[in-house]
Amino acid sequence: MATVKERGYRHWDGRLVERRFPWLPIARTGVRLAFRKKGFKFAFAAAFSPATVFLGLLYISERIEDFKALVRTNQNLLNVSPNYFKTFLTSGPFLFLLVLVLVFASAGLIAEDLKHSSLQLYFARPLKKRDYLIGKLAVIAFFVLIITALPWVLLVVFKLIFAGNFKFIAAYPWLPLSILGYAVLLTVFLGFYLLLMSASGRSTRYVTVLIFFVYYFSAVLALWIKGIFKTPYAFLVSIPANLQQAGAVLFGQKPPQPFSPVWSFLVLAGICVLSGIVLTLKVRSVEVIK
Amino acid sequence: MSIEVRDLHFRYGRITALDGVSVRIGEGAVGLLGPNGAGKSTLLRILLGFLVPERGEGKVLDYDIRREQPQIRRSVGYMPESDCFIAGMDAVTFTAYFGELSGMPRQEAMKRAHEVLFYVGLGEARYRLLDTYSAGMKQRLKLAQALVHDPKILFLDEPTSSLDPTGRMEVLDLIRDIAAHKSIQVLLSSHILDDIESICDAVVILNHGRVAAQGRMEDLRAIRYSLYELRIRGEAAPFRQALETLGGRVDEAEDGLIKVYAPEGSDHMDIFRAAARAGVQIRYFVKSRTSLEDLFAGVVGVD
Repeated sequence: MATVKERGYRHWDGRLVERRFPWLPIARTGVRLAFRKKGFKFAFAAAFSPATVFLGLLYISERIEDFKALVRTNQNLLNVSPNYFKTFLTSGPFLFLLVLVLVFASAGLIAEDLKHSSLQLYFARPLKKRDYLIGKLAVIAFFVLIITALPWVLLVVFKLIFAGNFKFIAAYPWLPLSILGYAVLLTVFLGFYLLLMSASGRSTRYVTVLIFFVYYFSAVLALWIKGIFKTPYAFLVSIPANLQQAGAVLFGQKPPQPFSPVWSFLVLAGICVLSGIVLTLKVRSVEVIK
Repeated sequence: MSIEVRDLHFRYGRITALDGVSVRIGEGAVGLLGPNGAGKSTLLRILLGFLVPERGEGKVLDYDIRREQPQIRRSVGYMPESDCFIAGMDAVTFTAYFGELSGMPRQEAMKRAHEVLFYVGLGEARYRLLDTYSAGMKQRLKLAQALVHDPKILFLDEPTSSLDPTGRMEVLDLIRDIAAHKSIQVLLSSHILDDIESICDAVVILNHGRVAAQGRMEDLRAIRYSLYELRIRGEAAPFRQALETLGGRVDEAEDGLIKVYAPEGSDHMDIFRAAARAGVQIRYFVKSRTSLEDLFAGVVGVD
């Protein structure tokens, strides 16, 4: 190791500024650290595969004559509509890929700070708890929006380019807003859910398992309850089912379950509120053992 | 006064951590000394606004500890006791990151991070992942992140804990340099007496959440008691009893050396009179310079 004082200490002649968005460095660093994780880039690229497939289908749908032989068996496949977007965006594989990317990016967001006692370093700065949590939430928002909103809004644009006219957007002018609304729903819900999970342990591996376990166990539990009580309301305990139910409303489609989607919105909002309360209690500058 | 607190009270549940602490700290390096659980870290955390006192008030650099925490945190560099870092980061990114969070512009924070890492002796290792750092390197890194925004005061919480003797000397050397030549005030919390004695001009001794003593080191050494070292021939027990009736405290070392902490204003002849009463001969007698260890033992009542 090098000897101390290789260079003398000099005072800094600058001025500390009060930032408008003090959480911005936290968000930027969180995103950068996610890309340094092993396997993250692969998962990130894979998360764009549904959009890539969709792009191919959009192209085929506009060049139907050229691909007649291919699509003879299933014409529905090429009937591009808001329902088509909804089906892709609320499908199990898409949500799985999204959660996979977010697990890489967010499992350690708070867990690592708890494990390495770095919360006290954050709060020794002019940062509020709110700034810290918004910074961490912004990391999740970045990935959700970049995987959900950006490519899927672009796909609407591609649809218009391939069609060479504005008929599609004239028929469904609200579709880009639906995509953005659904992306915001995913951002808010997954943001709170993943931060709650991340604050639940000090080991990233444990948190990773917990995220998948709670997410998929809720779906399995819903099926069990449905099997026992024969009621569709059983799906209210399922996270994916509630996201699909809420997503259907945002895309103006018939919800998959025969109950009011308001219930699903309430369940998702309830989880967010609960997460907010737990996070406020868990994230502290000093861990006090009583 | 750069730090002034009055009548601070704080409890962790039923455990009283601070019980009416009033402290005035001026310029220079000041030691916060006390046995484990004395309330040192709690006091630092209250000064930083991590904990809100139940009662009492205080100011750090004229900023109120209850209302002006952001201003205090901008002016203070804090080096916590426990290991803390961010996994997957290198030292430059880490240090610059906390500089930026303190309010430094991004480019400036990066430039400054390089400078302070060189200063604390991590120049060569600044691009290494923190996960691979040794305990000593992590300790220096904590000092670097505390210095990056050029604070006016440094709060150092047990800065030499978990260090080997060489690492300890190097970190102490740095702290001494900061305190003596860099016009940064240092508040050094430690239970290691030598660390405080070698660096600080003044000391605050806490015990059971109360201030046991405070002031300049020289003044504290002089007041309160005089220390005498002596050897005797004869029964020690009655002699000890006779001395204790005078209000002094007596410690006996294994090699037979007796340390007598005579109360302030007492006459050394009282010791000889006590010896005569107890029927012992004094074979060796010297008035000793009180070290911090003696002061600590005197006011805290532990060896």
